[in-house]
Amino acid sequence: MRVVVAEDLFLLRDGLTRLLAAHGFEIAASVDSAPGLLDALLEHRPDVAVVDVRLPPSFADDGLQAALAARQQVPGLPVLLLSQYVEQLYARELLADQSGAVGYLLKDRVFNDDQFVDAVRTVAAGGTVMDPDVVTKLLGRRFRDEPVTRLSAREREVLALMAEGRSNVAIAQRLFVTEKAVSKHTTSIFTKLGLAASEDDNRRVLAVLAYLNT
Amino acid sequence: MGDMGILVTVLWRVIGRLLRRLGRGILLVPVAAMAPVLFGLRPWTVAAVLLAVVVALWRPVMAAMVLPVTMVVAGISGLVVAATAPGPSVNWVVSAIRAFKGSRVTLKGPLPGWTIDRRAGFPKSVKPVATPGPNSTQVAIKPSAAAQAAHVQVPPRFYGSPAAFVRGGQVPAAAPFPGKGAIQVQMKGGPGGAEVWMHRGAVIHPGGGAWPGGLLVPLALLLLTLGLWLLPRSAAALRAHTTGMFAYLRHRMLENRWGILLIPVALLGLTVFGVHPWTVAAILACVVTAVRWPLLAADLVPVVLIAFAIRGFEIAASWPSLPGLQQPGELYGVIVVTTRQLAMLAGAEASAFLVVAAWLVPRTIGAHARTALAPGRDLELEGRVQRLTETRDLAVDAADTELRRIERNLHDGAQARLIALGMNLRAVERMLPGRPEAALALVAEARETSLRALNDLRDLVRGICPPVLADRGLGHAVRALALDTPFPVDLDINLPGRLSAPVESACYFAVAEALANAVRHSGARRVHIRMQHADGMLRIQVGDDGAGGADPAHGTGLRGVEQRLAAFDGIMAVSSPPGGPTMIAMEVPCALSSPKTCSF
Repeated sequence: MRVVVAEDLFLLRDGLTRLLAAHGFEIAASVDSAPGLLDALLEHRPDVAVVDVRLPPSFADDGLQAALAARQQVPGLPVLLLSQYVEQLYARELLADQSGAVGYLLKDRVFNDDQFVDAVRTVAAGGTVMDPDVVTKLLGRRFRDEPVTRLSAREREVLALMAEGRSNVAIAQRLFVTEKAVSKHTTSIFTKLGLAASEDDNRRVLAVLAYLNT
Repeated sequence: MGDMGILVTVLWRVIGRLLRRLGRGILLVPVAAMAPVLFGLRPWTVAAVLLAVVVALWRPVMAAMVLPVTMVVAGISGLVVAATAPGPSVNWVVSAIRAFKGSRVTLKGPLPGWTIDRRAGFPKSVKPVATPGPNSTQVAIKPSAAAQAAHVQVPPRFYGSPAAFVRGGQVPAAAPFPGKGAIQVQMKGGPGGAEVWMHRGAVIHPGGGAWPGGLLVPLALLLLTLGLWLLPRSAAALRAHTTGMFAYLRHRMLENRWGILLIPVALLGLTVFGVHPWTVAAILACVVTAVRWPLLAADLVPVVLIAFAIRGFEIAASWPSLPGLQQPGELYGVIVVTTRQLAMLAGAEASAFLVVAAWLVPRTIGAHARTALAPGRDLELEGRVQRLTETRDLAVDAADTELRRIERNLHDGAQARLIALGMNLRAVERMLPGRPEAALALVAEARETSLRALNDLRDLVRGICPPVLADRGLGHAVRALALDTPFPVDLDINLPGRLSAPVESACYFAVAEALANAVRHSGARRVHIRMQHADGMLRIQVGDDGAGGADPAHGTGLRGVEQRLAAFDGIMAVSSPPGGPTMIAMEVPCALSSPKTCSF
């Protein structure tokens, strides 16, 4: 699987490429600036890009802007953004086109390399991965709403994990329950929130995030 | 009696329901209606009633706040009018009964209550002749030779003088002049007398009879008591409303260099020189001057005040003391002069005007002259330097406090965690050869600690400079802030560019503080934020529908915002009466740079 890495700090860039290489990724390019990233993405068309939000030249959200620009030219180009901070505003912009294949994680999540690599693979496969921090904030906003308060505590846990982009199998493993129990919960959640149920994991995540984001 | 009881109960319920629906503020209308009763139907009394109706209906909260003050003013005015009104003093109980019954008043003998305008040139030759009757009184008035020359008109109108309630006389439309310029006035009914109004300004009150002053005194006392009782309640609300307003006024006043004072002072001229074409023209001229040439207007303020003082001294020195002849009131400032004693009081008021003028002279004329004479000393610059010194001190204090907060935060947070991390790693070093599985647990702990340190740093940085603010500027940062708020926030942001970084930061934290207050204290369900930049001024409004009661004087949050904005010549005003709603308005003069162009 070919990957483009964009990170301006040498130590982190080096660490990321090593980590990804160790897990069997092929590093198509590793760049240190937003214009370089845009060029690399359009030239290499990688299976997935791992991008730092803050990049030169202006050290603002250049990485995000470059990724969004690339996705405009190459629709559905899988991009996983890393940042020291997660912002709902940026998450919203990433999810805006509803086409999936995006991820938005705190840089800390790299510490757990298995989960991180899973996330990269999910995004590469067209899935959506949101940082638990983003999901917590989204749920926090929704707590005063009628439908969300009708969910049981367990259902809310499942909803949060779904919003992070996990499959039923992953949720079942995480909560130490059977996959069947999870699917029962998800059906119940979709009924209570009035969402159209979907068998497809990715479409399901997008529906949940769209609901929480309104 | 039973019917009466039911009627009273029904009335009470209706009034109670009305008050609950419209609020206490609606009481402002009847209180304001006292004005035409006390001072007669005049343009300003009618305007006062209309204003009261408008305020009571459109701004009920404000109406409720000014109600006690209005009551006190009406009460005092009532007492003053009652005390200065012509006419014999009558037991008010008797007079109340008479007024209630429709009052048939008989006048006995020559009336003691005649009053003649001092300026009118109707001297002692005027002698009232009253023919007592059960229901009517005939009064003959003989003007002096000078007055005969003038056209004399007797319109049937109420023309109040101090005793505006002395009215009710019916005057025939075309009053005859039976021989030698005498006027016959027929009065019918009414507890008071009639009054005859003449072109040259002579106001003659055939007072006497039962005057409603008897009713007026208890009513005025009642209003005064009620007003004083309500006053402390509304004082708190008033304070909440006006905090920030004082700073705003002071700021504006300094900016205008006192010139704006000319407008209220000129209006005061109406009560000193009376309503004449020239006084009205002077007011208009003053308004124009105050707006166009504030410096000149400022110089005029003490001049006008000195003119007031001269007029007051003239009244005090020249007021005649004629026993048996009552003067109609001559209004001077807040005093209606009818006796020599009151004239002396007017003199004291004139002295007060003089004192204010003396205080203002060095601040206006003196300061301007100094500027004109000593080149290089600019008054505006002086004021600016003073303001900058104040705000710089505050800014330095704020920066120092902020640095200390960051230091403490680092010390207790990230630093402590890094120390723990180092100690953990050292322990791992020692354990690794002998007990690798225990070392593994410690490594996991070390990783956990490093995550916490990162979290601490992240929170700290967010408090110093939020990422979206640095990336995208104020508009987007406030949008991001709204997303993190646990209830709906209506945004109306029109900010097509970036501001300077310090202004952006100050404004961001100001909005964040206002939002946090709404979340924490007010119990609001909706918040709106309006933000726009026009004419070199950034205007921000944060309002919520919560319980109100926010006060910059209590708690450091809003006070800190005020100080931080002051460093940029920005100002903040808070309106948050108990019961809400809260509205925080901020204004910061700043330039808007063109939007950052994106390279993609």
